Amino acid sequence: MDWITNWLANSAIVQDIITLAKPATFNLYFALISIPLGFPFAMLLALGKNSKNRILSTLSKAYIYAFRGSPLFIQFFMFYSFALSLNRSLWKPWGIDEIVLHPLFLGPLVLVLNTSAYAAEIFYGVMRTVPNGQIEAARAIGMNRWQEFWSVTWPNTIRLAWPAYTNEVVFLFHATALVYFTLPVINDQKDLMNKAGELFEKDYNVFLHFSVAALYFVAISMFIFFTFGLVQKYLSRHIRKEERQKFRFKPNYMR
Amino acid sequence: MIESIIESLVNLLGEDWRAGLEYITNGKHMMWYASIRFTLIAAIAGAAFAVLFGLLGAALKQSAIAPLRWIGSFYVNIVRGVPDVLFFLFFPLAFEQFVEYIFSRTRCTAEEIASNAGSWPPCDAAQWYLEGNDYLILACVSFGIVYGAFAANVIHGAMQAVPHGQLEAAQAYGFTKKQVFWRFKVRQMWTYALPGLSNVWMLLLKATSLLSLLQIADIVLWADRLGAPNYLARAGMVHPDWRWKYYLVLFVFYILMTMLSERVFDWLQRRANRGMVEVN
Repeated sequence: MDWITNWLANSAIVQDIITLAKPATFNLYFALISIPLGFPFAMLLALGKNSKNRILSTLSKAYIYAFRGSPLFIQFFMFYSFALSLNRSLWKPWGIDEIVLHPLFLGPLVLVLNTSAYAAEIFYGVMRTVPNGQIEAARAIGMNRWQEFWSVTWPNTIRLAWPAYTNEVVFLFHATALVYFTLPVINDQKDLMNKAGELFEKDYNVFLHFSVAALYFVAISMFIFFTFGLVQKYLSRHIRKEERQKFRFKPNYMR
Repeated sequence: MIESIIESLVNLLGEDWRAGLEYITNGKHMMWYASIRFTLIAAIAGAAFAVLFGLLGAALKQSAIAPLRWIGSFYVNIVRGVPDVLFFLFFPLAFEQFVEYIFSRTRCTAEEIASNAGSWPPCDAAQWYLEGNDYLILACVSFGIVYGAFAANVIHGAMQAVPHGQLEAAQAYGFTKKQVFWRFKVRQMWTYALPGLSNVWMLLLKATSLLSLLQIADIVLWADRLGAPNYLARAGMVHPDWRWKYYLVLFVFYILMTMLSERVFDWLQRRANRGMVEVN
């Protein structure tokens, strides 16, 4: 057993895995905050785009188009510089400048704005394919619009959109790598890319450090696919086995 | 020429506009506008490489030889499984070190390598100095590799979608396997691949905003420089922090590029669908 402990203590890969464990929690933090906040916002945007109210649908459409049509990298810079320019007139007098300008606040904010546009497009696309017969049935038994949404549109949308939404979540997790390229790094609050870059500058071993960072990203992506796959199973438990949408473990990675 | 344009615009809009128009056409701003070329070159060359790597990846994925198939799947899955920015930074660094390693084999003595163990490069003679344009080429190849993995998936799916009867008919006419592949499968695949490839193009276009991470003076870097608070001893405060204005311009620029791309792809799709039976 000695050689195992020896190897573990001396192996550069193991050392890197240990060093990068804390930075990985920052990526996880950004994703874990943004996903639950982005989800309801995306649903509202999708309902907005689907609504018959012209103003509401135009606004939602424009929002979704703008945030899907521009790079997240630019969005980060833009919102950070917005926040900076409002610092003297708003945040400082209110005494909240340290919170608002903190990457741990601003990062998730921009990620939420971004991911909700992508997720809203997914939900919107699926909402239009909700089986018509079910909606007609709901109306025939006299449900009001709220009941119709809760008992037909919502559960169907979630179930049908889940595989694509899983993809979006993985993409969001990958997008967390951009946060600290655009926002200031405070103290030792570094994410995976930051820390890998820092380690690289010490010994120029690009293969080791970037591979270990990539390993973290792949491992956490796989974990997301696995847990979201379990949810998919739960969501389609009432459907006959043969008719279930097969949840592919390696879904289409297209955003 | 710019002066005459400003003159005519001032005549049209009034004297109040002169200062503003002169400001946005000064030397630095012209450099900013000119730096769009890096973005466009990276997008177009990156797309060309992506299609190339995509075809290669798709060919590997459906190869009859199992190890080649594994290489294809490994490439497609690993590159897509990590953030694009990670691979975008990794490839140029790794390529640089690879070249320096080859240099070191011929240019360094054994003693130098031994004394420099643990640091890079092994000796000064092996150092490879990269300049702006070298980074641009590396960035294009890097984009090609990353988005080639996405394209490989799209092309692979599109090749499966080509009706089998067509390929069988071609075989029946006596075309060789190679001819069937190139003249029928690849030619017909494009209509099925276009929606997916348009998606990959959009991703690539948005990823071109990352060029500044490789020290390329692209539109993002210039926007940051121009927007930063500008203080001149002679003139006093020229402008405070205007970065948000410049980033807003970039935000709109990318949205317009997306709109333009959508139109082009719509046109391409209509062209590719000529003579196809309209379904539904």
